[in-house]
Amino acid sequence: MNRDGEGTALEAVGLGKRYRRRRGPVLQDCSFHLPAGRICALVGPNGTGKSTLLALAAGLIRPTEGTLKVLGTTPARARERFAYVAQAKPLPPQLTVAATLRLGAELNRARWDREAAERIAYGPVYANPYADPYGEESGSAYGDMHGEAAADPVPGVGPGVGPNLVPGVVREGGLHPRDRIRSLSGGQRTRVALALAFGKRPELMLLDEPMADLDPLARRELLGALLGEAAEHGTTIVMSSHVVAELEGVCDHLFLMGGGRIRLGGDPEQLLAAHTLLTGPARDLSGHTVVESHGTGRQLTALIRTDGPNSPPTDGWETAAPSLEELLLAHLRNPEAPDLFTEETGGTGTADMTDVTDVTDVTGEENARP
Amino acid sequence: MNTGPSLNTGPSLNSGLSLRTGLSLRTGLPWTVLRLHRAALIVWGAFLLAALGTLVWQVEVTADSVREGMSACARTGGLCRRQAVIHYGGGISWASTLVYYSFFAVAAFAGGALVGRELENGTAELAWTQSVSPTSWLAAKLAVPALLLVAGGTVFVLVFRWAWAADRDLMGDDWTFNDVFAARGPALVAYGLCGLGVGALAGVVLRRSLPAVGVACAGMYVVNHNLEEHRGDLWPTAANGLHPESHYWPMHLVETGVVLGVAVVATGAAFFVLRRRTG
Repeated sequence: MNRDGEGTALEAVGLGKRYRRRRGPVLQDCSFHLPAGRICALVGPNGTGKSTLLALAAGLIRPTEGTLKVLGTTPARARERFAYVAQAKPLPPQLTVAATLRLGAELNRARWDREAAERIAYGPVYANPYADPYGEESGSAYGDMHGEAAADPVPGVGPGVGPNLVPGVVREGGLHPRDRIRSLSGGQRTRVALALAFGKRPELMLLDEPMADLDPLARRELLGALLGEAAEHGTTIVMSSHVVAELEGVCDHLFLMGGGRIRLGGDPEQLLAAHTLLTGPARDLSGHTVVESHGTGRQLTALIRTDGPNSPPTDGWETAAPSLEELLLAHLRNPEAPDLFTEETGGTGTADMTDVTDVTDVTGEENARP
Repeated sequence: MNTGPSLNTGPSLNSGLSLRTGLSLRTGLPWTVLRLHRAALIVWGAFLLAALGTLVWQVEVTADSVREGMSACARTGGLCRRQAVIHYGGGISWASTLVYYSFFAVAAFAGGALVGRELENGTAELAWTQSVSPTSWLAAKLAVPALLLVAGGTVFVLVFRWAWAADRDLMGDDWTFNDVFAARGPALVAYGLCGLGVGALAGVVLRRSLPAVGVACAGMYVVNHNLEEHRGDLWPTAANGLHPESHYWPMHLVETGVVLGVAVVATGAAFFVLRRRTG
């Protein structure tokens, strides 16, 4: 089992993927490194290769160039140790929920955790009749859900009563074993797909837009379950999303995709600390790494990196810390901003800038928007 | 009688099922294949039982009443006899014709539900990201139906040989009829396996259900039509330029070999394409 700071979950070197029927590569010269034990958000606009990257990591497609190591080996060799949930949450429509979980058990005979899978599919009360393994131990949202469940018990569902014994009683959000997959909503299918992932007890979860179809309650419950899994077992979690806010505050690692590669990578707090939002009278910003600047008349607002020789500037600028969303949107609007990777090397290490040799010193005027 | 053909359909077929799971159909991948395609299994089983039941019924029950009817119309002669023959032989030849050409259904099933649809809707990838490699997945997907086709086909061939030989005087066909020629030996099983392989290849290559069904059936039509057209060329004719009935087995076995060859090539190509595409 991977622990924080030990091992590498994903390592890409010069990764490229080109589809035959598509102009231009989806991924190009993509290199990054994800330490094991992180909860990583993979964000970026639609069509920037998030799904392609996850499918490559899951060994479903082959890269056209470069290499991608998963848990220190090839995706095919790591197959038993990671779980993958595709964006469309494909499940055999003719099966029931119970049969789908049996399928997970049969296809993962060496490592199936039935209880973990059923807890996700049927909700906490159903599948956890005897014990409360997550209990009070964590302050995660999962624990909160348990609190709610305990405070508001489903009538007739006492300890030791399995889901099959209580026909017609379904916990909010939870599924019934005999529900057919084809009758489920998108969010409910997500729940089943995640249940398969949990049942596998993987070292790494690759989740493509796992939260997209979920209602806020289910999102809270399942995010909490993911955090609980990561906390308890050191599971590395990679979740893609095109909604930045969805994963803010959840992840301790962030990859921003754009232009077929990872443009920002690292701890979100360190990424934020490496940027400053400046407001002040319009003037020359050369000497700073400007991600984005726009001004109205004499007033200029700019997002700069705090890595320059004379950063952060003090001369008459109002400085502010950008929000994560501002930071990411600024990079998305400005594809020419240099890539940035922060690497935690223990403690409160300073941002380790890479790939700043070709810094385009964008001046305020050049990048100003009228 | 002919478990040989199933073992000839590619080396990877064996490793997927018999070695890894000890031939247990109730766990692991075999269970998954049977559970996912339960409806198809039920339909196929019902079809096979109906065909076998028809043969037994015709021989054991209908034959006697037809004979009684024929003796009753002994004086009216030709037309009456012909109706009796149609009544008796019709049921048997329907059974053999439907079972013989069921390789089209097998090809459609393999290209569609078994492989093409799963690649189309992503459930194949669901399996591949459990602890199952694409190769073992395809091996199990082919091995389980192949075993059933061999077992079911063998039983049908044996019962058909018995039913066809039982009352020759009541039947108007002979050994050269297309369905009779195929259904009296292993070619029937070979065609089923060929449909499976060709369907799997179409499904893997096209990755979409409907086109794969069409292409698989078209491919099987080409194979079958050409062989039916050239059955006479599969073995040298006798001095009079014709085939005596003693040529049945050589001709039949050559055709079986050709069909199994196509099955092996198609299955191997399906594995090759799948391996090349996935990691």
